[in-house]
Amino acid sequence: MNELGKKLARIAFDERGADYLLAMREEHGNVAPSMIRKGEDAGDVRVDLPYQLVNILSNIYPWVPKGRIAVVCRRCDEKALNEIIKRNLMDRDRLILIGLACTREQVALCRCSDPVPSKVDIGEANAPVREDPLMVKLDSMSQQDRLKFWTSEFRKCNKCFGCTLNCPVCFCDDCVLEEHTFTPELGIPPSFAFHLVRSMHMSDKCIECGECERSCAGGIPLLTLRKMANRDMKRMFGYEAGDKEKVSPLLTTLEGKLLEDGEHVC
Amino acid sequence: MTEFNPTILAFCCNWCSYAGADLAGVSRLQMPPNVHVVRVMCSASVKPEYIFKSLVQGIDGVLVLGCHIGDCHYLTGNHRTAKRVPIAQKLLDDVGVDSRRVKLDWVSAAEGEKFQQVITEFVDEIKGLGPNPMRGVRL
Amino acid sequence: MARIGVFICHCGHNIASAVDVEAVLAYAKTLPGVVFAGHNIYSCSQEGLSSIKSSIKEHQLDRVVVAACTPRTHEPLFRKACEQAGINKYLFEFVNIREHVSWIHAKEPVAATEKAKKLVAMGVAKAALLQPQTEGEAAVTPVAVVLGGGLAGLTAASSLAGQGIETHLIEKSERLGGLLRDVSVIGPEGELAKPLLDDMISRLTRSKHGHIHLKSTVKGISGFVGNFELTFVEGCDEKKIKAGAIIVATGANEFTPVGDYGFGSVPAVVTQLELERRLAKGDVAGDVVFIQCVGCRQPGREYCSRICCNVSLKNALRLLTLSPGSAVTIIHRDIMSSGTAAERVYKEASETGVRFVRYGLERPPKVSAEGDGAVVEVFDETLDETIELDAGLVVLATPLVSPPDSEETGKLLKVPRDKHGFFLEAHVKLRPNEFATDGVFVCGSARWPVSARECIYQGLAAAAKASIPIREGKVVSEAITAYADVDKCAACGNCVLTCPYDAIEIIQVKGKLAAKVNEAVCKGCGSCVAACPNDAMQQKGFTTQQLGAMIDALVKGALEGAQ
Repeated sequence: MNELGKKLARIAFDERGADYLLAMREEHGNVAPSMIRKGEDAGDVRVDLPYQLVNILSNIYPWVPKGRIAVVCRRCDEKALNEIIKRNLMDRDRLILIGLACTREQVALCRCSDPVPSKVDIGEANAPVREDPLMVKLDSMSQQDRLKFWTSEFRKCNKCFGCTLNCPVCFCDDCVLEEHTFTPELGIPPSFAFHLVRSMHMSDKCIECGECERSCAGGIPLLTLRKMANRDMKRMFGYEAGDKEKVSPLLTTLEGKLLEDGEHVC
Repeated sequence: MTEFNPTILAFCCNWCSYAGADLAGVSRLQMPPNVHVVRVMCSASVKPEYIFKSLVQGIDGVLVLGCHIGDCHYLTGNHRTAKRVPIAQKLLDDVGVDSRRVKLDWVSAAEGEKFQQVITEFVDEIKGLGPNPMRGVRL
Repeated sequence: MARIGVFICHCGHNIASAVDVEAVLAYAKTLPGVVFAGHNIYSCSQEGLSSIKSSIKEHQLDRVVVAACTPRTHEPLFRKACEQAGINKYLFEFVNIREHVSWIHAKEPVAATEKAKKLVAMGVAKAALLQPQTEGEAAVTPVAVVLGGGLAGLTAASSLAGQGIETHLIEKSERLGGLLRDVSVIGPEGELAKPLLDDMISRLTRSKHGHIHLKSTVKGISGFVGNFELTFVEGCDEKKIKAGAIIVATGANEFTPVGDYGFGSVPAVVTQLELERRLAKGDVAGDVVFIQCVGCRQPGREYCSRICCNVSLKNALRLLTLSPGSAVTIIHRDIMSSGTAAERVYKEASETGVRFVRYGLERPPKVSAEGDGAVVEVFDETLDETIELDAGLVVLATPLVSPPDSEETGKLLKVPRDKHGFFLEAHVKLRPNEFATDGVFVCGSARWPVSARECIYQGLAAAAKASIPIREGKVVSEAITAYADVDKCAACGNCVLTCPYDAIEIIQVKGKLAAKVNEAVCKGCGSCVAACPNDAMQQKGFTTQQLGAMIDALVKGALEGAQ
């Protein structure tokens, strides 16, 4: 058990009363996500790889019906969990978040504007990156050039669904983009509609973890596309995905009221 | 060169804007023949996916017409439309598709003249923008 | 493959003058799935309908498309014809080529014909994907519940019980009659309040169908039109009632103007209801000053309470009758006394010696104590000077305000309220006594401050409306409701949040969490369809596949050259 393993086991099991710890662990030279039981040797835990444990948690959560699960979370993971919990897909009381602050290099990789978890347990807080250089460049382009840019980027899509499969806030089991209702063209690359429909679906829940971009076999700058949509959402409705309480403005009244209140202004 | 004759799709809600379109007809208000109305029960049921699908397949413009805010047959249905359509427009802008190809407006059952005006102005606007650049784009 | 029949209507010259019906007909025959296409001079005529029906049988059609006028007026007629010919009425699709084509492109026959072709192609594409539907039908519990035992609630309840409908009146206080219990004479006609209330109550108590629950508070309401269940506490006992319809008659309260014009500190300053109580006892003498619009028609509470002017006029005249010679002054911003009887009272008050002083919001009157009475200082806008009035009693006419518990009532019933807390009806003119939620009705000052006469009108109206589902015995809903594809649903809950009717819940279905639509509550707006990221929510008759096929048909027709 390395030092990090000891520290994480102490925080999770001794200090915060977890029954499980979900973390990245090195075994025989391979690093993989592991569900460590209380009392088990935590082993050689690693946090230096940008890996998104929320998806792993979503997959195993239904199979762990009892007990509290501690999970190593970056700020984006924490926000992803907020989106999941808001939708009653997980129970907040069953989760213990161990805050991991991203390194400067990781922050730079994600052009991350919000890299510090609410509570830093591991690592040191680094300054956010204010701007996405590609977004700045695209904003300064003419509309025609922007269309040309994305046309050439989307041409690289081979519809591997890496972006959706690795997205922590894509909740659907079977993706509508696999069907032909909205993206009628068969074959590869899929039409523009594929990316627009995904943009719409992500517009009120993307927490900018960058997993789509890292997963994209074609190297399409998908995180920039997400950041553009998030900027729009913030400008138009003052909404930022990943909030603990706030409901998507696309589901409320113009005054931002929940419809369940029975107090529609109309 | 033949004149550009745009193809436009309009989603109209059953209770207000479709009735407004009917009133325009009953009143014999003349307007350009480019707009094809699809009746839906509420503008809130118009998926942005329809807008994207239409534009990507080469339709030159999409109108979403609903009841005025406060008049929605389904209480606050159009409140969601009023937010969904603008965000869909922004997403189009982000990838370089002119969001003026999508228009959201409110037409009541009593506003036949407004329907005529919205249609006429939108057809003019789309004519000004020219053919949808996504028409014929094969990725 | 569907067997689609297309029928193009000439509508006399209405369509045929601009649209080349023959050309559209020839085009329709080329569309996928179309096995028959015909035309009628008037499709809606007896002859037209017969030809549609016989064609359905002759060509074994299983989908029907009529290209004619607007579904808003003629859809039921053609649906019925389909049903009579033996096919489900939801396998019918309407294409509007009159209001949306011939009438608005009257001088462009070529373009109008091309547009009509595309619209027919879109209709055919949708029709191919139509599915037969069964309309939802639910039995109605033949019981009505009225919330609130004021004049409006009493009127509604006694009317329903009088019709032989089991009616439960739930009143939170220990007495019936509401605000009117403190009033002796009702303006402007001058009827006595007590006999009116006693008559209403006795009609209810004498009827074997009337059930009165005093000191009762509603704790929970579930269900939907025809099948509500109310839980309420009567005294100390919790009770449950099943009901088919609910009437909200929870009324309003008199606004207590604490701190305004010396109310609470100067003993001679009272509200209108306190004056009513004193008048009932004959316990008023001396000079009286009324101040109108106290706490309303001002920022924060902008509305006019409608009844206060008439109440002050009525009481001013009663005061003069009780103690002739006393000075009675009404300080007002505008006298709102519309209607023949009220105008007569206003005129009588002016002629009998009631003094009217007009003030403005920017210079409100000032009240200070003097001896047992008070002095009112007011800038008279007509005289353009400040005057002082001695008063034995200062009466503040305050508005009716929504009671604090109306918020809870609104939440329990899931019905909307305006910014002042008054309930909002489904439509001001078309459905003034109903909520948008089926089976829930509203009357009296719960909606807006109303007079006793209006309470009675509205109580009767609400009772008449509430009796409809109960008399019908069943509720039928058009098969345009939403449904969830359980296999696709990821239980993200977007639909639950976006539904204006609270018709969707996430429950365990087929061993997984998924959305379930309550068809009796769903109104078919399709808001959930747009909110669903995975296309799991669908609306009958407006599925995403059907609308997608319409878009494809337009693309095919317009862009790939259907000329």
